[in-house]
Amino acid sequence: MMRKDSHSKPIEVSNLSMTFRSDDGTSINALAPTNLEIEPGQFVAIVGPSGCGKSTLLNILAGFLTPSEGQASIGNEAVAGPSIDHGVVFQDYALFPWLTVLENVAFGLKSQGLGRSERNEIALHFLDVVSLRDFSDKRPRELSGGMKQRVAIARTFATNPSVILMDEPFGALDALTRRFLQQQLLKIWSESRKTVLFITHSVQEAVFLADRIIVMTARPGRIKSDFLIDMDHPRDFSSDAFRRIEKMVFDSLDEELAKTFGLADNQLQAD
Amino acid sequence: MHFLRHSLPYALALLAIGTVWQIAVWVSQANVAILPPPLLTLATLWELIANGDLAKHTLASLSRVVSAWGLSVLVAVPLALVMARSRTVERLLDPVIELFRPISPLAWIPLAILWFGIGETGKIFIIFVATFFPILLNTVSGVKGVDPVLIRAGRVLGCNNEATLFWRVILPAAMPTIIVGLRIAFGTGWAAIIAAELVAAQSGLGYLIADGMEILRSDLVLAGMIAIGVLGVLIDSIFRFIGNQYDWGPA
Repeated sequence: MMRKDSHSKPIEVSNLSMTFRSDDGTSINALAPTNLEIEPGQFVAIVGPSGCGKSTLLNILAGFLTPSEGQASIGNEAVAGPSIDHGVVFQDYALFPWLTVLENVAFGLKSQGLGRSERNEIALHFLDVVSLRDFSDKRPRELSGGMKQRVAIARTFATNPSVILMDEPFGALDALTRRFLQQQLLKIWSESRKTVLFITHSVQEAVFLADRIIVMTARPGRIKSDFLIDMDHPRDFSSDAFRRIEKMVFDSLDEELAKTFGLADNQLQAD
Repeated sequence: MHFLRHSLPYALALLAIGTVWQIAVWVSQANVAILPPPLLTLATLWELIANGDLAKHTLASLSRVVSAWGLSVLVAVPLALVMARSRTVERLLDPVIELFRPISPLAWIPLAILWFGIGETGKIFIIFVATFFPILLNTVSGVKGVDPVLIRAGRVLGCNNEATLFWRVILPAAMPTIIVGLRIAFGTGWAAIIAAELVAAQSGLGYLIADGMEILRSDLVLAGMIAIGVLGVLIDSIFRFIGNQYDWGPA
């Protein structure tokens, strides 16, 4: 296929912390000093209670936020701001409503200076991968939520970034659509093996997709546990191995949920 | 079919107005110089069309509005962009705008005459004042209303500087609101030019009706008024058509 120069880069986070100062002068410690190393081509899922700073971490890596302390680097280069080399898939799709599906997917390719025919060729290829070639000329408003997110994924992969940051990309979708999109994501990812950082609320989703799962603590967020998932794709939700890993992650997460909701650990277990 | 569905209400409205008008003529028994019957007025209108007077005056009014409106676009849109992207500039300019906005453009007519005389400049100045605020305020709200996530998406998709981001994301995203402002501005400009021409002009639709009054020809006045109304609707529907091209709905 085109552009064989598919590449992926490592992500390194050292002593990264983030404190937000609100208008009334109080400060919120969103992210405690965090260290994290992600190998090139690794698919990492981050799970944690709401407000644990996982989106903050992603926004720092994407270059949308400047950390209070510490450093985030991608491919041994400090993150200085948003870059087309660091793709982002947003929870609410962020498609450009005035552009057609094809133009949306080709948007980044135009920034990369490609000519029209080359842009369209690449964009159509990625629309093929997410099975939306027939919708090339539609506007985003004509698509369902799941279709929009497939377009957004195609748009990000099309620019051939070296890492892809995904912020709860399937969070707004129903369970069935979600399953289908997880499969499509694996398909498009297996074609290029990009480094992926995937934030989710769903343990099952994390176990289904990721090579590695990181559980974060309640605020201020820290890395609590780090699981390597050594299972072949496609993974079977009902297999014993899947269930065992799922339980491990849940056990780790439960303590944090208990803290978030101010319950004793045993209360939650009893429920 | 589409055309018929949209023009039918207008046809009915015209019929209703004509009927009420004719009844008023019968009941009041007014002098024809004060209240001419609708058919006589239509005949006058036709005469104005046939002898080219209407085209001449329409062109005069329209060219004033178009040039002043265009000037407004050139000044208000860039200013609005700066205001929408910079809090400091907005805070500085907002009170000035709020103080000037309630002053009707017609209140500027005396000053316009004192400063610029009764030539074209004064009229363009008045229309500029009339069209400036709708364009400015709508552009500001359009740009401020751009979904921040689209701006983020633009940045991670290679819009590395403000200019690229503006052309590829902010402007198209704000376009529907900006077009509403352009449309409203043209409407207020169209209303203001007639008033400006009533006071001081040798051409234009406003002059046409003012002249009709002076020579006691209310059929001329009414024919001019009909032309103003019909042209206003036509211009507005052109803007609506353009606006619909940008109505892409939610993402």
